[in-house]
Amino acid sequence: MSAIAVSTAVSSGRGELVSVRRRSLLMAKWRVLWVVAAFTVIAIAALLRIMFLGLFEDAPTRQQFGTTLLPERGDIVDRHGVPLARAFPAYALWYNPAALGGDGPPLVRSPREVAEELVGIFPDLEVESLTARLKEGRPGYLRRRILPEDANRIHALGEPALEFPRETERFYPQGSMAAHILGFVGADGRGHIGMEQVFDQRLTDPAQRGTPAALSIDTRVQGALEDELLRGIADTDAKGAAGIVLDVDTGEVMALASLPSFNPNLIDRAGEGFIFNRVTNQVYELGSTFKPITVAAAIDAGTVTDLSRRYQSNRPLAIGGFQIRDSHALGASLNVPEALIHSSNIVTAQIADELGSDRLNATMRALGMDQRAQIELPARGFPIWPKGDWSRITTMTVSYGHGIAVTPLHLASAYAALVNGGIWRPATLMKVEPGHAAQGRRVFKASTSARMRQLLRLIVDLGTGRSANAAGYRVGGKTGSAEKPGEGGYRRTSLVATFASAFPMDHPRYVIIIMLDEPQGTAASSGQRTAAFNAAPIVGRLVPRIGPLLGVMPDDTRDVDISDLAPLVGRGDGE
Amino acid sequence: MNLTRDRLRSIGWAAVLLTCFTFTVILTFKVNAVKSQVRLTERKILAIKQDKLLLETEFETRANQQQLRSLNAVEFGYNPPAAGQYLEGERQLAALGKPRGADAPDPIRVASADGPKEAAEITPMANPLTGKAMAAEPAKTKAKPTTPDNLGDRLSRSEPRKGKPE
Repeated sequence: MSAIAVSTAVSSGRGELVSVRRRSLLMAKWRVLWVVAAFTVIAIAALLRIMFLGLFEDAPTRQQFGTTLLPERGDIVDRHGVPLARAFPAYALWYNPAALGGDGPPLVRSPREVAEELVGIFPDLEVESLTARLKEGRPGYLRRRILPEDANRIHALGEPALEFPRETERFYPQGSMAAHILGFVGADGRGHIGMEQVFDQRLTDPAQRGTPAALSIDTRVQGALEDELLRGIADTDAKGAAGIVLDVDTGEVMALASLPSFNPNLIDRAGEGFIFNRVTNQVYELGSTFKPITVAAAIDAGTVTDLSRRYQSNRPLAIGGFQIRDSHALGASLNVPEALIHSSNIVTAQIADELGSDRLNATMRALGMDQRAQIELPARGFPIWPKGDWSRITTMTVSYGHGIAVTPLHLASAYAALVNGGIWRPATLMKVEPGHAAQGRRVFKASTSARMRQLLRLIVDLGTGRSANAAGYRVGGKTGSAEKPGEGGYRRTSLVATFASAFPMDHPRYVIIIMLDEPQGTAASSGQRTAAFNAAPIVGRLVPRIGPLLGVMPDDTRDVDISDLAPLVGRGDGE
Repeated sequence: MNLTRDRLRSIGWAAVLLTCFTFTVILTFKVNAVKSQVRLTERKILAIKQDKLLLETEFETRANQQQLRSLNAVEFGYNPPAAGQYLEGERQLAALGKPRGADAPDPIRVASADGPKEAAEITPMANPLTGKAMAAEPAKTKAKPTTPDNLGDRLSRSEPRKGKPE
């Protein structure tokens, strides 16, 4: 374009030259304008870039920081933040025959030598099968999880084909402890049984899995409970045991154990047999532990107004071809405190008869005995509940815990209502913040509850629960030894021994239920099978261990006042 | 080559442009250097955090309730403390000071003012047995170090003392 302009300037005269000059000037100005504009744009861009660098650059890195530390599956912790289940980058032992490359053998040494070395590290492996496996030359896991020190020892073997990749796995630092509460994560990556199943959605949700899910249980209490239950099983040769520690005011489960247990780190065929939860899934006829509930219902309804009133106790009650009798003669007559202390079926049945089937039925329903136990765990047993209108004999047998089968958890919730002032609340495994406890429903009057505290304390002080009387902890409770139903009636030698208790009785904080399944008479239990000799001593040993951890200090100078009831009781041995 | 004003100006502009560009590049490099440093540090923090998690988990595993239980059973044999070993507060602690007699009335607590200041005069440290000031006590002879040779002397000397109360 400028070439054309010059050629016209040369060929034209002066006037044209002026116009050319003007045009060139204009063009130059335009060019300057363009350059200035370009500079301005660049300067603004540079400024913007500087601002951008200064202001926004570290935002994406922070996000990356968060995602890397985010576990693949959220942790589960106890009420104090102790990890119970965590996503853990564990080592696995992987055999990779292609690691050396080339066409040569996959291992530096002979497969047999390597197999022997490996068996030296993992004694449970077998040389022959391992040699065959290494010879075969197929890649695969030799072991799903190995310890860091084992990984070091394998590294020292100097075999490139033995790799130990880090894989995020579910790990339970406490081993088999609280296994029934936690459950496990299967090979499919989903939670099974326990809270792993309940929390599955939450633990895998990227938005939520960063914060651990807090359970209500206390690791130390759980450890002590399992320890004492194990000792109880060892002492009595029982088939199994179950135990629960429940906060009476919030319904929080502090510890829940079903033994024998399994190891969620290693689910094998042996472990699968123990997955069944005796606390929430198995229903039992819990026997005499129901008697305080019957008595409370009678006091509440006003059919028992005078605790010193005496009931006959030496003649078995014959109702519709069925006889209600006591385990041994307890004298001609007993009053209510004596009936509880000596655990008399005959007297309790009379109290229930006066109370009437409707009112006992209503109380049992209010305590949730006619439906599955209320807790988050997926496996919950349905009670064996007498259907329809209760006959006279049904009412009488239910009153002392027969003909109705519930889980130990049902009993724990009922006892919590019995002692906490009369409010029934569902049990929960989730940590409850102070002031956020479930509202619950009133089952007993506060005055009835106060009376029951005295009576339960009396049983431990003077009656069948004496071996549970941990000094200074003001334990109250009731024993129950029920024969298990079998073919053709009850089996006299297969018992379920239960001790339902609460402490401290002057201001109950926790309910403890201990249950032994088919305990045998051993030297440790003085040759007896009943709860007074096997389940009650477990509570006696457990309470001093867990009391201070739960904020209940022993104090010899305090107790619930039982001075108005004590004169009603003739001193004598019970059960 | 003649440098007109226009040309000078454009050279000047070019120089300014070049300088700006250079500074931008330098700044970008610097920023990138710091960024990679940060990233390295972050990676290090991550690695350490993961290590920490690993060690924490290992610690939790080795110190789990079952391990502690068996350790206690084998090694220590600790039992839960009894009721008498707990004190609720200073009041209970003070009550332990003196056993009360069988028919003793409740102790009367009276308000008391602080006594006269005693801090002005510091009494010299005295031997609680003899009552003499420490300076007046005879200097102790320094015990000879025990060697295999004089060990017999020591044993024979301490033997007859056993029964006697000191």
